Amino acid sequence: MVETFDSRAGFFECPILSVNNLSDAIYLMRLYSPTIAKNSYPGQFVNIKVNDEFIPLLRKPFSVCRRDAKNGWFEVLWKIVGKGTEVMSRLQSGEQVNVLGPLGHGFTISKDLELAILIGGGLGVAPLPFLCVELLKAGKKVEVFLGAKSAHELAFVDEFLQMGVEVFITTEDASVGEQGLITELLIERLKQKSRPGKVTFFSCGPTGFLNSMIRVSENFNIAGQMAIETMMGCGFGICVGCPVRVRDPQPGERLYKLTCVDGPVFDAREVILHG
Amino acid sequence: MADLSVQIGELRLKNPVLVASGTFGYGKESAHLTNLNALGGIITKSVTLKPRDGNPPHRIVELPAGMLNSIGLANVGVEVFIKEKLPFLNGLDTTIIVNVAGGTAEEFLAVVERLENEEGIDAYELNFSCPNVREGGMEFSQDPRVTANATAMVRKATRRPLLIKLTPNVTRISDIARAAKESGADAVALINTLVGMAVDINTRRAKINTVTGGYSGPAIKPVALAKVYEVACHVDIPIVGIGGIMNGNDALEFIITGATAIEVGTANFIDPRTGERIIGELGDYSQRNGVQSIREVVGTLRAA
Repeated sequence: MVETFDSRAGFFECPILSVNNLSDAIYLMRLYSPTIAKNSYPGQFVNIKVNDEFIPLLRKPFSVCRRDAKNGWFEVLWKIVGKGTEVMSRLQSGEQVNVLGPLGHGFTISKDLELAILIGGGLGVAPLPFLCVELLKAGKKVEVFLGAKSAHELAFVDEFLQMGVEVFITTEDASVGEQGLITELLIERLKQKSRPGKVTFFSCGPTGFLNSMIRVSENFNIAGQMAIETMMGCGFGICVGCPVRVRDPQPGERLYKLTCVDGPVFDAREVILHG
Repeated sequence: MADLSVQIGELRLKNPVLVASGTFGYGKESAHLTNLNALGGIITKSVTLKPRDGNPPHRIVELPAGMLNSIGLANVGVEVFIKEKLPFLNGLDTTIIVNVAGGTAEEFLAVVERLENEEGIDAYELNFSCPNVREGGMEFSQDPRVTANATAMVRKATRRPLLIKLTPNVTRISDIARAAKESGADAVALINTLVGMAVDINTRRAKINTVTGGYSGPAIKPVALAKVYEVACHVDIPIVGIGGIMNGNDALEFIITGATAIEVGTANFIDPRTGERIIGELGDYSQRNGVQSIREVVGTLRAA
């Protein structure tokens, strides 16, 4: 089996190795691409053309969820939100999709980091398994916080536990873990127990959730990195369709950055997110 | 191997495939993904007198076989363009067309006058048709007199070829094309995006920030072809065809209808190699049909 190196760097015809329905809402696809598997780092994304048709027209962006550089695969996680993700969910192993990637600026793991708090809202868990692996490899302590509407929208809980990290869970319907929002549970724990040393949270999720994380960063004076989910046109900076507002632009600095090339990971105190 | 070169007034292109303004940045963004030198030419992102931040999110939304955008002419402004973007473009072996935008005729003139001092610009495309910038009130190319006035003003300031990019959001686009021709334009480029809109029924909000935006993509190709046909029938001026071109077949439809060259737009977002692919397909078509030069194909639409 080969990934077809589709002319120049960046585009790959990737064979699908598997598509798993993790619950009635969530899908996980494993794609064969030694180059993407080798070259990506946590927080980066790939932009997938799910079929050769004009509907859906544009590529769809997905976080690199896990990768295996040795065996040459990477995975993407999604739930059905529109035509693109619906088509994705009907694809099967043996088929191919055209993938552009890896793209964007991902998470930064600083040398002096001591505790990493990984917090995902809903499908915002997507980039966290890959990040967790790399953090543990770098010898960092990791805590994972996952929130979802309901149990069937949670993913990777067992995988995080197998990695030996502490996992905290909330669901809005109390179907698993504590009832409530994951940001509330995090705030409660931050109040109870001070965490000495250099702490950073790494978050991904919907805009409302990320806005809560911006407040956590301010109120508890914790550094935070956030992977932003947004509509994208191209994924590599030519359509200029994915602006993120810069919080305090310096004179001469742009008012907007682009999620695709400047992000998708931003410092929590760097940007203002629109609801 | 067929000759794919074409001539638009004084401007010679090595092949008829251009990339449309606003769909290819300033060239460099795609340099690692495609062979820029293969293209007939690159039309830059619109350049205005001052830098523009552009519109707030959401700027784009996908629609069936198309998309709606409202970028708001986000660009670095003419000074930064000259300092930071033009040198890279000058290093390429392809035609460089700078797309110029402004809120008034005077602003168009000021940008062109500034660019006149710079080398390595082969032509200008005047964006008289951005639907997403409010201060102009309306699109320049919605009114033949405004089009004529602004074209004539810029014409006096430059000897470089002038392309006027037209809006389809008018009753008779050929009237506007004629006004451009009579005021000294070398060519008209059409169509810019169709004004469109989409609504989220749950939030009851428009799906993009400016409510209406510009509709592009394969869905608008039939409209674009009809506009090119109208101009080709009524005005004797070179036409650059734009609107939903995804492949060689689409490009040829425009060329047969009367376009001397074409611009690839939205397709670049999915794959910036689309232009390169189309060039290959034009060559294949020529070979299959015994065409010596692609110029033989321009405007060969047969009567129904």
